[in-house]
Amino acid sequence: MSIPYEYYVALSGLLMVLGLVGVTVRKNIIAVLLSTELMLNAVNIAFVAFDMKLHDVAGQVFVFFILTIAAAEAAIGLGLVMAIYRLRKDVDVEKLTELKL
Amino acid sequence: MDLHAIAFWSFSALAVISAFGVVFAKNIVYNILSLIAALIAVSGLFFNLGAELLGALQILIYAVAIVVFYVLVISTVPEYKGQSVDPKYMLISIPTGFAIFLELSYVSIYGAWASSTGIFTPEVMQDVGNIKAVSSMLFTKYLFPFEVASLILLVAMIGAILLGRKEQVMEENQ
Repeated sequence: MSIPYEYYVALSGLLMVLGLVGVTVRKNIIAVLLSTELMLNAVNIAFVAFDMKLHDVAGQVFVFFILTIAAAEAAIGLGLVMAIYRLRKDVDVEKLTELKL
Repeated sequence: MDLHAIAFWSFSALAVISAFGVVFAKNIVYNILSLIAALIAVSGLFFNLGAELLGALQILIYAVAIVVFYVLVISTVPEYKGQSVDPKYMLISIPTGFAIFLELSYVSIYGAWASSTGIFTPEVMQDVGNIKAVSSMLFTKYLFPFEVASLILLVAMIGAILLGRKEQVMEENQ
């Protein structure tokens, strides 16, 4: 293969950092959840690239588990968003400050 | 420049542009559409790397099932009126993110490649095929985590039902 695997890992790092920036800067709680999906995808690319470089398939099995966890996380997270919206009529992370002293 | 390189550069450019859309677009519907584009681009990268099973699962689970969750919730929650991006955190997070990116690239390029290699060399892969190799590993060595994953999905389903239902329904029936 002509493309070095380092390029895939660099792309994975770039997507990871973009997701991290998204989690930090966004104020809508649904957009924060979307950025975490982006970070999970970055990890998936890194797993598959390392797998192909090191001639193994364990990383692809773990990507399978990450897909499962992402589905569970989306279900629970969006259920929480719905519960928060029903309680507070708002999805702004700056205004959800019940636990703040 | 062969087909692998063309596919890599086009899919990765699409993924990065869509990721910028996910993070910085104002409207939440545009965020979802960019996320779908990014997921399909990542699936193309999986196919390009030779992981056919994961490329197909990525489209099936991520780009269809999970995105449908988000679209349903967005259609229930009304349009978000406030400011989408906080400029105060933007000033801090972008240099910090760049530093983390440099550190990740340094570690992955100079450190992690020196690990020991597994048994699935390209010749074996040519013989067995990616899907058979991954699924044989999944159902032999990782059988217990596989069963635990099904338990996690059950717990998530029950949790989503409990969190999403209305409390008043019971009282109205009484």
